[in-house]
Amino acid sequence: MRTLVVFCHPVADSFSSALRDASLSGLATGGHEVRLTDLYAEDFDPVFSAADHALHLDLPSKKPAITQHADDLRWCESLVLIYPTWWSGQPAMMKGWIDRVWVSGVAWTLPPGANRLQPLLRNIRRITVVTTHGSSKFVNALEGEAGKRIASRSLRVLCSRRCRTRWIAFYRIDDSTDEARAAFIDRVERRLAR
Amino acid sequence: MRAVVVLCHPAEQSFTRATGAAAVTGLQRAGHDVTVLDLYAMDFQPVMTAADHAAYHSDQPVVDPLVAESVTAIQLAEMLVFVYPTWWSSLPAMLKGWLEKTMVPGVAFVFDDKHKVRPGLQKVRRIVGITSYGSRRSYVSAINDNGRRTLLRALRLNTGFRTRRTWLGFYAIDSATPDERRDFIKRVEDKMAQL
Repeated sequence: MRTLVVFCHPVADSFSSALRDASLSGLATGGHEVRLTDLYAEDFDPVFSAADHALHLDLPSKKPAITQHADDLRWCESLVLIYPTWWSGQPAMMKGWIDRVWVSGVAWTLPPGANRLQPLLRNIRRITVVTTHGSSKFVNALEGEAGKRIASRSLRVLCSRRCRTRWIAFYRIDDSTDEARAAFIDRVERRLAR
Repeated sequence: MRAVVVLCHPAEQSFTRATGAAAVTGLQRAGHDVTVLDLYAMDFQPVMTAADHAAYHSDQPVVDPLVAESVTAIQLAEMLVFVYPTWWSSLPAMLKGWLEKTMVPGVAFVFDDKHKVRPGLQKVRRIVGITSYGSRRSYVSAINDNGRRTLLRALRLNTGFRTRRTWLGFYAIDSATPDERRDFIKRVEDKMAQL
């Protein structure tokens, strides 16, 4: 499948970077065609600005800063998000990519007077999240798993009706052993090859 | 009480700013000591950089002076009030990044001897969220209310057990009438004056 990988971590030799490499390797094994967006590497600006706000409902052609990102979203059939979970959700950098790229004319339209968005990303049939958590699965459940819900609900409803989501998560990373982390990297590679 | 109002909206004229102003007026009517952190006006940088990340687990996790200013306010706060528009069922990146950069070890939480996370916001007795939604209330509560979950659940876990929660949501904003908007702004002011 045509796959867009969106990667978000500030540190080059982080565990998340290893997960990115494992994902790309798995996707290559599976014969998928891949585009990679590395938000920190391209110094993406995640702040939805006053100018963005003024153009909010205008056509995407008036928003040159996001042209390539929008094109990638329309191109892909599978979307892979790789990030560390901070404060129960996507880092601000990735949340800002959603705020600024999943906009009117790219991800949805809103007819006058309506309250429900009409989806435009019917091309996306699969959303995969690869993420790490400092805390346990139990604590994440107490916290409400905002990041998981943003991916599997908020984003998914704008994709294909049959869009499937995969959640591949590593919990309690701060207490983890080298073996457990290596095993998770292997698991990510195998899962992404499918 | 000492209240910190964290205001997040990019436009100078907006419904969110009007509700934020009403919240401040209400809090002041009730005699609270209010500090406003207007994230867009401060030009807050919400991106956790490699330098921030390196500092995170050190003795000095705060490197940015704007972050230090927020941290000083947070450490005195007995009430945290968040005013923002809900985007993608959650906090705008600006506010999400503010949480990431200010709520660091030593501020929001501390590690005990066994490296377990313990609450750090012991002074906070109330968390308030004031936000607008594009979706209807039924849709928001059934499907997605991630901003509320992040603030009233994830952040609250870092305060004392008795911290109270207040949520004021304005739903289906795209089809709301001017009267409904005015009523909500009034409700925010009155509610804040009762806290």
